[in-house]
Amino acid sequence: MATGFFTDTTVCIGCKACEVACKQWNQLPDDGFSFTGTSYDNTGDLGASTWRHVAFIERPVPLTGQTTGLGDLSWLMMSDVCKHCVKAGCLEACPTGSIIRTEFDSVFVQPDICNGCGYCVSACPFGVIDRRPDDGRAWKCTLCYDRQREGMTPACAQACPTESIMFGELEDLKQRARSRVEELHDRGMGEAYLYGADASEQPGTQGLNAFFLLVDEPEVYNLPPAPSAPVNHISESWRSLALGAIALLAATAASVLSSKGGR
Amino acid sequence: MSHDQATTSPRRSATYHDLPAVKQPVWTWEVPVYFYVGGAAGAAATIGAVLQVLDGDDSERLVQRCRNIAAAGTLVGSGLLISDLGRPERFLNMLRVFKPSSPLNMGSWILVTASGLSAGAALLSRSRGVFRRLGSLAGLGAGAIGLPLSGYTAVLLAGTAVPVWKESRRSMPLLFVASATGAACSLLEMGDFDERELKAVRRLGTVAQLSELALAQAVEKESARVPGVGRPYEEGISGTLWRTSTGLTVGSLVVDTVTGKSRPGRVGAALLGTLGSIALRFSLWLAGRASARDPHATFDSQRMADD
Repeated sequence: MATGFFTDTTVCIGCKACEVACKQWNQLPDDGFSFTGTSYDNTGDLGASTWRHVAFIERPVPLTGQTTGLGDLSWLMMSDVCKHCVKAGCLEACPTGSIIRTEFDSVFVQPDICNGCGYCVSACPFGVIDRRPDDGRAWKCTLCYDRQREGMTPACAQACPTESIMFGELEDLKQRARSRVEELHDRGMGEAYLYGADASEQPGTQGLNAFFLLVDEPEVYNLPPAPSAPVNHISESWRSLALGAIALLAATAASVLSSKGGR
Repeated sequence: MSHDQATTSPRRSATYHDLPAVKQPVWTWEVPVYFYVGGAAGAAATIGAVLQVLDGDDSERLVQRCRNIAAAGTLVGSGLLISDLGRPERFLNMLRVFKPSSPLNMGSWILVTASGLSAGAALLSRSRGVFRRLGSLAGLGAGAIGLPLSGYTAVLLAGTAVPVWKESRRSMPLLFVASATGAACSLLEMGDFDERELKAVRRLGTVAQLSELALAQAVEKESARVPGVGRPYEEGISGTLWRTSTGLTVGSLVVDTVTGKSRPGRVGAALLGTLGSIALRFSLWLAGRASARDPHATFDSQRMADD
């Protein structure tokens, strides 16, 4: 059964309960207690020890249905997470086969196999997975693989007080997401759209098993506008390498033969 | 907000507090050093095999030197890569699967095959009889696997989400092969061989270095298809190293042309060429790190890529 997350950013209140629940359940170390100065976000980004991250965006742009005492200002919040891409850059790039697709269609790093080569870190088009310096291995959201195997809801979705994070069967989630967009459009929030719900709309990843409802350009939330698993463009490079190899053979042979002639 | 916002293209993509959109490569200095060592080893193995086929016993000493460089390079390169792992004791996990979608997995197979064959070729080349023939066979095998070894690391870089690497995915493998060949020739030129052998090596080295210069331009141009993505080749430490590499390679060519007939001149040219090749790898590595830190490069390469 394919399961996933639908994160509806329009009902996120930025409480960070998801971040805390994730850290607690997965026993992740803290990220240091630094102050970033960027709104209420002192986490910054997803990483080896942050598998849910709440982004805070203050825009000098009004948002339909939102009134503030500050004029043209709107505040967007989004709980970001590993997208569990249908075609996952990290999984395709992993040289050890440590990163696998589970029976829930999620992308999972097997900690007993990962040798910390770091290639997945550069292969993720979303900047999600990272290597933990103290531990040497790559880590990211498991979509609570352990909880799911026991029939439980992932910790973040369980903790979310506004159902901004919805967990469930993928087809079901997509239906709910589409009707939510319609509902918002009917209310006059024409900006609302789904990010990564469809393979056709995001061919580079063939869709995301953790998709989002957004009200501004993806970049505003630090999401790439047209992400693609790097494996998609690798054949061009192999072809170039083949050409280079032929050139190397030819140039070497020519140099050896021409120096013979001069004897 | 960044100071460069007003100066460049009219449409600057939005960012999230100017934070990077992809992770910086976690690789440390061992990796660019490996790019040089492994590439030179691969090209040396191929040059040795070609000499073996075309020249037979006439170039015995040069073939031996090629095999030694290949064996030493693959050995040192393997050590560098293992030490860069987060869990070095698990390096053999690289070989628990055969996975064409992963350039790093393919590279591991290429490197381990090349290591075995070039070590065999180097160790057996002084023996006699059947062992000598085995050594020759290993030398040919090493030459074949040396072809991908000389440049697969460019495919490795191109197969990432790092904008500057991804955008130069067509030209970078060619640059790596050319630079590896130049590097191998520089190492060979430091030795003392007869005139004819040196002539062949110097010719190949010149062709390789001229190609390296042209292909470096091609890489710059390819990555600049998306405005701003090629910036690490111009700015910062990566940009300085990029220009330094060009300067050293040009210097190597000039010194070789002018004084290449004398041993000291040749060695001087070879040293310049070696440094140029190493500077190139460090520049590319640092360029990738800078590029990953730049969210505009990440977003623009997706919004504006022509493919």
